[in-house]
Amino acid sequence: MAFIQAVLDGLMIGGVYAVISIGLTLVFGVMGIVNFAQAEFLTLGMFVAYFAWKFLGLDPLIGSFLSFVVIFGLGVVVQMTLIQRVLNAPPVAQIFVTVGLLIVIENLTLIVFGSDFHSVTTSYQTSTLRIGPLFIGIPYLAAFLMALLSAAALWLFTNKTWYGRAMRATAQDPMAANLMGINADRMRQIAFGLGVGMTAFGGAVILPYFTVHPTVGHQFVVLMFTVVVLGGLGSVAGAVVGGFAVGVIQSVSTLFFPIQLQNLVLFIVFLTVLAVRPTGLIGAAR
Amino acid sequence: MRQAILEVDGISKHFGGLAALDSVSFDVAPGEIVGLIGPNGAGKSTLFSTLVGLHKPTDGTVRLEGEDITGLKPHKVAARGLTKTFQNVALFMEATVLDNVLIGGLLRANVHDARELAKTCLARVGLADIAGKKAADLSFPERARVEVARALATKPKGLLLDEVMAALNRVEMEEIMDLIRSLSRDGLAVVVVEHHMHAIMTLCERIVVLNFGKKIAEGSPEEIARHPEVVRAYLGQEYE
Amino acid sequence: MKWWITGAVVLVAAAIVPTFLDPTGYAIRVLTLALLFAALGQAWNIVGGLANQISLGHAAFFGLGAYTSTILLINFGLSPWIGMLAGAAIAAVAAYLLSFPTMKLRGHYFALATLAFSEVLRVIAGSWTSVTGGPVGLSVPFSPDSFWLLQFKSTMPYYYIMLGALVVISGVFVWIRHSSLGYRLRALKENPEAAEVVGVNTTQVKISAAVISAALTATLGTLYAQFTYFFDPEAVFGIIPISVRAAIIAILGGAGTVVGPIIGAFLIVPMEEMANVLLSSRGAGLSQLAFGVMLIAIILIEPRGILALITNGVSRLRRRKSS
Repeated sequence: MAFIQAVLDGLMIGGVYAVISIGLTLVFGVMGIVNFAQAEFLTLGMFVAYFAWKFLGLDPLIGSFLSFVVIFGLGVVVQMTLIQRVLNAPPVAQIFVTVGLLIVIENLTLIVFGSDFHSVTTSYQTSTLRIGPLFIGIPYLAAFLMALLSAAALWLFTNKTWYGRAMRATAQDPMAANLMGINADRMRQIAFGLGVGMTAFGGAVILPYFTVHPTVGHQFVVLMFTVVVLGGLGSVAGAVVGGFAVGVIQSVSTLFFPIQLQNLVLFIVFLTVLAVRPTGLIGAAR
Repeated sequence: MRQAILEVDGISKHFGGLAALDSVSFDVAPGEIVGLIGPNGAGKSTLFSTLVGLHKPTDGTVRLEGEDITGLKPHKVAARGLTKTFQNVALFMEATVLDNVLIGGLLRANVHDARELAKTCLARVGLADIAGKKAADLSFPERARVEVARALATKPKGLLLDEVMAALNRVEMEEIMDLIRSLSRDGLAVVVVEHHMHAIMTLCERIVVLNFGKKIAEGSPEEIARHPEVVRAYLGQEYE
Repeated sequence: MKWWITGAVVLVAAAIVPTFLDPTGYAIRVLTLALLFAALGQAWNIVGGLANQISLGHAAFFGLGAYTSTILLINFGLSPWIGMLAGAAIAAVAAYLLSFPTMKLRGHYFALATLAFSEVLRVIAGSWTSVTGGPVGLSVPFSPDSFWLLQFKSTMPYYYIMLGALVVISGVFVWIRHSSLGYRLRALKENPEAAEVVGVNTTQVKISAAVISAALTATLGTLYAQFTYFFDPEAVFGIIPISVRAAIIAILGGAGTVVGPIIGAFLIVPMEEMANVLLSSRGAGLSQLAFGVMLIAIILIEPRGILALITNGVSRLRRRKSS
């Protein structure tokens, strides 16, 4: 029974992992760039939702939409001013622009917001749902449902709207997209905005059960990479499957290993996947 | 009949379900110059890549001096004495001409001796005076010659030349052909892929024709020129 | 041989400078750290600059060096000089093993894999409390002055030790560049297929560079531990404090050049230290912020580093004068 409970817990958090990782894989899929700063946008999303709660009294689950909008805008600006300029640069430039961005965002938040830990209080914070012998915390369930909602919305956007299809066309063949009258630069801005916006949204919805501080993103860096590498960099559906897989692996591994080693199992999975299927993964990406 | 140095026996290469090479066989003797022709996409470059170990063949064997070299890594194949040049020229662009050739020489010598060897090879292809230039600054015909020099520096017994005469004028082409002939006099087994039919016909003693990955003909230039299937598949369109 | 003379002059100057400084003061401490990080950047440069494999996991080897020598010192009283060799050997083996899963990875994938590897070690160091001290870290038992135990009250001896480390590692870098390994690395960096076809064993070349770089990085981890007396997992296995910093130091100055990491370290380390002093509590954030901004700026302006920026500028000036 403990095992089933662990799987259930893993699925709940895995849904959130999927959403925050979709952003990373989306950016890679459209631009071929691994955004090492992706987790920082999760931190920012959490802060936006936190201040929306503190000053506007918005529940984080509502504030998450505000997080999405604000970080989407920020993402467009970052794409225009930084990422756009290294699109055709060698990998070393692409890697270190986003690493630089990571350092800048982390330390800006540290300077502006201080190094304190913040958390919100909600009415449903300690409520749990009981299904027979199993328990689900309401905040976890809420975050899970919000994550599913946003993933579904993204799916609708990319498959059912002109913008979404244009974005996918840009990912597949920027030249051809250009010939069809699609502004590839604009599509990349939307893709980057969406990518970091999704991650920020994922950060905001976990705020009811997660404290926020400037370095909270650290905990998610390798985790996000594991999710997308498992699912295949660039594949949105893969990120969803990878998210659930990572959530469950993490949760189940705590049954067998001390909690500190939870991430160790993940890293080993990550390295193994890279080692065993490097061509497969790279092939899936480009 | 001279004893063959390079024996290609039933080489096949499939990419996914597609057969890029379908049971190709031919031999090359020391000092012989064999031409390999065929329409675009016939599998000539794939065959070269497979022979030097860049691709693992799906089936068949490659022997060099009687020893099986099938599936060896390219650097091991090079050490046994078989190397190739690249169709699209794959020089180390940031390095000087001399250093490009030196890297080939490192297979048989230390840095100092490889440098001397590289100078000899450059002189042989007629590029001694531009040894200090950066590879990226060379013209296309010069780059092709550096490719040849780099391959020579590995002291090969078999040499696969992939379109080294592309974009050359008549004089330059004659020079390269003289070079290839002199290499064959030294006992090298040379296989030449070339689109320029006149060059192939005058240079080679024997020609192998590929079409859709299959060998459709083999023989002397005269035989090939008259071969009905070859004429249909290839010469009809390009050789006047 | 003009660069020999320049090198000798700089070296003599570097050897004389500390005699004008307070041997326990702040300035010499900053210079000592700059030398250490220049050496770290140089060790990274062997993989990142010569082979163009962008490692974001050099902290793995740095940390292995720090932990190995310190654990041996605490538990067996073993001299850090011997511990340093042990750490280097362990790091070399780790790099050798890591090269198998990462063999075919390039660009972003290689960076990701190396990053994950160093995180594995950081997590282990933080969890295996009985040996590593867990998240609290380890303290080097204090017993100065002893050359054998690599401990001194004054900063001066450390300065010369770090200078020696930088000279040795730079020497290794220059030697590799002019050796057959260096030529092969260049070939590998530019065109791995062509390199193989003309006889370069690219697998072996990659492993050699990775192992040498890792072993040298580990020795610096030992020196760092002995210099700071105390470290925790984040200090030696951290992505930003070690892995990214090593890479940035090399890239900022000019990756693949011998002076690049030296320029990079002597810009970044003093800047960070000054910010820490001048701006006290929030200084850490500000100096890191400046660090990030500089990184982005150099990548956007001239990804080949400050050295290339200067040489380009000089040649442009010359052209303008002559025309």
